[in-house]
Amino acid sequence: MAVISMEGVSKQYDGNYVLTDISLSIEPGQIIGYIGPNGAGKSTTIKILTGILGDFEGRVEVMGKDVKADAIAVKQKIGYIPENAALYEVLTPIEYLHFAGRLYGMLPDTIERKSNDLLRLFELNDKRDQRMNSFSKGMRQKVLLISGLIHNPEIIFLDEPLSGLDANAVILVKEILSQLKKAGKTIFYSSHIMDVVEKLSDRIIIIDKGRIIADGTFESLKTSASGSLENIFTSLTGNSEHTTTAGEFIEILNN
Amino acid sequence: MEKLLLRIFRALLPFIRSKEIDREKLLVIVETKLMMDNRRVNMSWRSSQQKENANHMQRVLILYAIFGALMGAMLFVVDQFFTVMLIMHTYVLFMMAMTLITDFSSVLLDTTDNQIILPKPVNAKTVFTARMVHIFIYLFQFTITISAGIWVATFIKFGILTGITVIITTFMAVLLAVFVTYFLYLAMLRFTSEQKIKEIITWFQILMTVIFTVGYQLFPRLINFTNLNEEVTLHWYSYLLPPVWMSLTAEAVNNLQFDSIHLLMILLTIAVPLFSFWVLNKYLAPGFTRKLAALQNNNSNSKQKALHSGRSKTTFAQSLAGIFARSNYENAAFQLTWNITSRDRNFKMQFYPAIAYVGVMFFVFVLRGGSSISENWNELPATSNFLWLIYMPLFLTSSAYSLISYNEHYNASWIYHSAPLSSPGALIMGGLKALLLKFFLPVFLLLFGLAFWVWGTPIIDDFLFGFFNNIFILFVLASLSQHILPFSMQPNTKQQAGKVAKALLQFFVIGILVGLHYLLIQRAMYLYIIAPVLIISIFFLYRFISNISWIKISV
Repeated sequence: MAVISMEGVSKQYDGNYVLTDISLSIEPGQIIGYIGPNGAGKSTTIKILTGILGDFEGRVEVMGKDVKADAIAVKQKIGYIPENAALYEVLTPIEYLHFAGRLYGMLPDTIERKSNDLLRLFELNDKRDQRMNSFSKGMRQKVLLISGLIHNPEIIFLDEPLSGLDANAVILVKEILSQLKKAGKTIFYSSHIMDVVEKLSDRIIIIDKGRIIADGTFESLKTSASGSLENIFTSLTGNSEHTTTAGEFIEILNN
Repeated sequence: MEKLLLRIFRALLPFIRSKEIDREKLLVIVETKLMMDNRRVNMSWRSSQQKENANHMQRVLILYAIFGALMGAMLFVVDQFFTVMLIMHTYVLFMMAMTLITDFSSVLLDTTDNQIILPKPVNAKTVFTARMVHIFIYLFQFTITISAGIWVATFIKFGILTGITVIITTFMAVLLAVFVTYFLYLAMLRFTSEQKIKEIITWFQILMTVIFTVGYQLFPRLINFTNLNEEVTLHWYSYLLPPVWMSLTAEAVNNLQFDSIHLLMILLTIAVPLFSFWVLNKYLAPGFTRKLAALQNNNSNSKQKALHSGRSKTTFAQSLAGIFARSNYENAAFQLTWNITSRDRNFKMQFYPAIAYVGVMFFVFVLRGGSSISENWNELPATSNFLWLIYMPLFLTSSAYSLISYNEHYNASWIYHSAPLSSPGALIMGGLKALLLKFFLPVFLLLFGLAFWVWGTPIIDDFLFGFFNNIFILFVLASLSQHILPFSMQPNTKQQAGKVAKALLQFFVIGILVGLHYLLIQRAMYLYIIAPVLIISIFFLYRFISNISWIKISV
């Protein structure tokens, strides 16, 4: 049974459609790579799936629940890590994680135990009582990741989760995602980093100008263009003139 | 106080019976919001030296309480009941509206909630209630601290009945202030972009900072307490002002005077705030949340528009830099300083009060002596007080010079270090030139105009000499102080050792040079002998500053 299903979903802002007639169905225990150029509609899709945007056309079900009618039940089962690390920066990591955990209905003792363990894994245990306004982007991203996963969600929505992380943390997060998948969790992963999407994803969905233009495994997508996911992406989104643009760039520098 | 209010809220929580509200989550959100309020830096009291962990809210509340107590003390000075009530209610209304606009705007216009709380399993009703409770607790704290002094004084001087009435009218003033603030924000959200709103709020914050910084110096000089004991004449339009309704209501109860006018005022005092609160709750608040969400979604578009306009136009700063900067490095630092001092909120918040202080200094130093301002003004031509006017711009420019060293985005200064630049002193000089042209010159010319009007032609020689002396002093200060590149130092950085000795040396230099001018005042011959020495010294100092090497730069 599909854990995520979208039927004829469209979304407009001031008469401009940012998503047009999106339909897809996702089985449990998969990592879905969701990629597209800037402004393609990736974040809007995620906001609809996570119940943040309720004003759209079409029908969306997550874990069998209608997102429009039962957004709270959906939110209880999912974890969401947004692109821009929005945190209450005047709080300390432990205070923020208590805040997030309690909004998911977790018990304070459980939050305390899990937070301490997870902060230790991300090497933030010595920073647990420091306010986050002095944190680097990577440190904030780690807290954000923990806050989105602390309640052990069934489906995880990630929007550029590796942004700002150091090399060790990137490897750790990739490994965590692989193990979450093995544990039967579904991961909806939106990113610009093609090689990570290529390596991690069981299925890749490419969106451009609000429409899905490709959907399949990396192997099946290779039929449309040879080489890496980057090649497939550029050929499908019509942005194959990078060589010419780069040439022009150098020419301007030289003049 | 926050803990006490939270305890009261916890006790009241079981009485919230709506099934749509999740009481546990409501408490979590309110607790967290209040904790954040305590840590939020109040914009009106912000200073470069504030410690990160200080309890800002408590500090602000204590200061408000002191102001309130001072206002309460007025009740014992002013005999006219209506006049003093009018002042009290205007004060409460003004303070609440300004506090809401300047400080609470960060809460009202905060879209972070949408990103942090909306993805969590919390329903809209709970989030909305949490917001309302948070606003209510915030307002309650401020109302009590602002008004406590006034209430106590009213109880002591006018008795229980009037005291209770004033408490009620104060709360009505607060309700009106909330309504006016929401209404203002909604109007701004309707007609302008988020960026513009933030700019408008910044100006309110600057105004508030100026009022707090200089108000206590100026107001006692401007208020004539003998006038306050005369009766206020009310015109037909006076009855349109809410403080007049509230003051007349208090008067009605105090004098037991219930004629038709007083009854109408009592009705307006109670009905208008309650009705406006109902409108706010029913129509404005939900629309406000919707507008905010829409604003967030449309944000990227407005940013693009802002970037596209104004492209490839030569700006005023560019033209000035082209004329006054001697090298590319000076030019770059000139434009950077010019632009950032126009746009950076923190700079404006700290510098604009310094401009306002020039006004204060005018009253304190120039118009000093006699018993009244008009008497002092008439006697001014017989004094040498224009010397203060000559050196006031120095105070302004040297404060600006110390402020441009610090910036929240100090990290951006990597660009200085990556540039192929052997003498970073050129950057310091570029910044100094920008400040001289932007702040020193206009103020100097303005004060010269004022002095010329009062004293006439005899002061021209002194102003001419003073012009060079000012620049000389400023260059000496720049040579003696720590050499910091513009906007390259983290705010709150601990000052280097020996700062006190350097500051004393600077005061000594200023004292000597201004003192020299004082001795030679209106002795044109001596002034014209020394002026060329000053100009040559300026030239050497200019070269010294421009050639400061990397070793001497503080990082």
